[in-house]
Amino acid sequence: MDSSLISAGKFISFISRTITQGNGSTWPGHIALKLNNNFIHDVVKKNSTKIIFIAGTNGKTTTSTLLRFLLEKNNIRVFQNESGANLLNGVASSIIQHANLSGKLPYDVALFETDENTLPLLAKQISPDVIIFLNLFRDQLDRYGEVNTIASKWQTALNKLPKTTNLFVNGDDPELSYIAQQSGLKTHYFGLEEKYMSKKEMTHDVDFLYCPNCHHKLTFKKTTYSHMGDFVCSHCGYKKADFKPIADLSIPLLGIYNLYNTQAAATVVKDLFGIQINVIQENLKSFKPAFGRQEILSYRNKNVMILLSKNPAGFNQSLNAIIETKQKLNVLLVLNDRIPDGRDVSWIWDVDFENLIPQAETITISGDRVYDMGLRIKYAQEQMIEERKLKIEEDLTEALDTAIQILPENKTLYVLCTYSAMLEMRKIITGKKIS
Amino acid sequence: MKKNYSLTIGWLYSDLMSTYGDRGNIIVLQKRCEWRDIEIKIQKISIETKPEIISSCDLLFMGGAQDTQQEIVEKDLKGKKGKLLQKAIENEIPGLYICGAYQFLGNYYKDADGKKIEGLGIFDLYTINPGVNTKRLIGNTLIKVDNQEPISYLVGFENHGGRTYLGKNIKPLGKVIKGFGNNGEDGMEGAVYKNSIGSYFHGPILPKNPYLADWLIQTALEKKYQKDCELKPLDDALETKAHDFIAKRLGVEL
Repeated sequence: MDSSLISAGKFISFISRTITQGNGSTWPGHIALKLNNNFIHDVVKKNSTKIIFIAGTNGKTTTSTLLRFLLEKNNIRVFQNESGANLLNGVASSIIQHANLSGKLPYDVALFETDENTLPLLAKQISPDVIIFLNLFRDQLDRYGEVNTIASKWQTALNKLPKTTNLFVNGDDPELSYIAQQSGLKTHYFGLEEKYMSKKEMTHDVDFLYCPNCHHKLTFKKTTYSHMGDFVCSHCGYKKADFKPIADLSIPLLGIYNLYNTQAAATVVKDLFGIQINVIQENLKSFKPAFGRQEILSYRNKNVMILLSKNPAGFNQSLNAIIETKQKLNVLLVLNDRIPDGRDVSWIWDVDFENLIPQAETITISGDRVYDMGLRIKYAQEQMIEERKLKIEEDLTEALDTAIQILPENKTLYVLCTYSAMLEMRKIITGKKIS
Repeated sequence: MKKNYSLTIGWLYSDLMSTYGDRGNIIVLQKRCEWRDIEIKIQKISIETKPEIISSCDLLFMGGAQDTQQEIVEKDLKGKKGKLLQKAIENEIPGLYICGAYQFLGNYYKDADGKKIEGLGIFDLYTINPGVNTKRLIGNTLIKVDNQEPISYLVGFENHGGRTYLGKNIKPLGKVIKGFGNNGEDGMEGAVYKNSIGSYFHGPILPKNPYLADWLIQTALEKKYQKDCELKPLDDALETKAHDFIAKRLGVEL
């Protein structure tokens, strides 16, 4: 049965790619699951491929790209679901694509990026060898629901897994650490060294300031960003676990959030596959980012860096990453409100655009909700708008052309955009690229 | 230079009741005061703040939150803070209460499991959450504000499971033209009691509806200084564009 589903799926995938010119990534899986809703379970159980789930609000794609890169550098065979195809049908499709016709998966490791709400469903189908919890932030509340609801769904899912499951969890996050401790699974912590933490006022993108155990206010001695750092509850004593992050790990990507992604991937590779830290560090030097995640493209002979920024915590991190370059900044902000972006754009008011203003040389704004973003920037400024510095364009191509036109020579245009805007932007840039 | 006017805005539970970009309301109030040389102080009020601080505020704001945070706030409001908040509202201190805050001010809230949670009883209304199998009321929305000349519209975004029903002693903020409003049934949205406004338009309501922000500022000034206070007009071209864009998106000709 499943072998025939695999061959049928491969055929559908081929047709879908040919006819629609799309990537055809979820249809084969969708159909296979319709015909056998245990399809994923049935195929995986016949194989000894190690299964890794990657979950979290931000950084799934970058972390899975990093993990795959490190594993393959060390001759471990890996396949993964396509970026963004992180529902059950996407996972099933990747199995169809990578299994041979007898249902064998000729790979050592399968990496599945999973959507926040899909993780519990997927964990019912297959018991993973490894789960990675990167972070948990509010994101598209109209679509995902409340973060506390997701946290409790994750807790329930973990509690049902065999105690031999390896859980790699961000130990700087008070909620995720708590979930891990409650689950009783084999927990490995990752996080950042103290040198990346500082005592600062809490930002407005935080979600877990109160103790997950007793609901009293947590004390954060220091933080890296948002609600992540060195925390303790003075009421019940719950505190950050004792662990040592891998020292001096770096990658050619901007931003402290990418250090978390790197720590996550490196800790898995070190603890589970026994690869030496110095080898990992050497490997990381040649890492290239995933598409739309600090990817650098060329448009009209100028450099454009795309930073996917889709929720308060993620957007603040993108802003901080470019602010840390200490240079005058030229940015294009694109805010869409389609289904993959979330229909509600309220969250932009939880992002600290105030930090961008002092360093901004030019700001161009576009997207479906161009005027909402325009207002956010207007109200982030001390003084009233200077037209020279701020351009508002409804049309995305015109916005890009304007931003490029006013971009000084030898500078990079930073494009901070929501998901559908990122796809559109790449299409405009790569479609017009003269190579 | 000494400024002629000053205002203190009390931001209730800024760390707990602020999930949907509600901070935007505070930013808009603050900037629209600053641009007019009105001195402004934002007073954050949370669990650890002394309750008496509430009585020193000229304008109050409280946003919405998720269930876990609301439970923490609910406990705190049962104490002295709730009583002082009631006193301020009864004394006509202007205020804006969004989503969860709006529900708190009512008589009670019946949650998805049928459990009845007592409210502060300041607004004559109650809220019922019909349960997880009933659709949340989500989307862009537009209402026509009652008794406003010239006719004024408010645009916003709503996302709530609870259905709110007004009693006899309170007026709605406006009539729903597009969207769901208080309960998706009676065509009403929000509530107005004395100088306090409750609404489901979250995150945030004020940027695209600057006249509502100015009404709050002006009312606060007049209450504090006990005289007529005309606000200096600001250039609201961008605000108007953002407002009209939503109306157009919803297919409403203003």
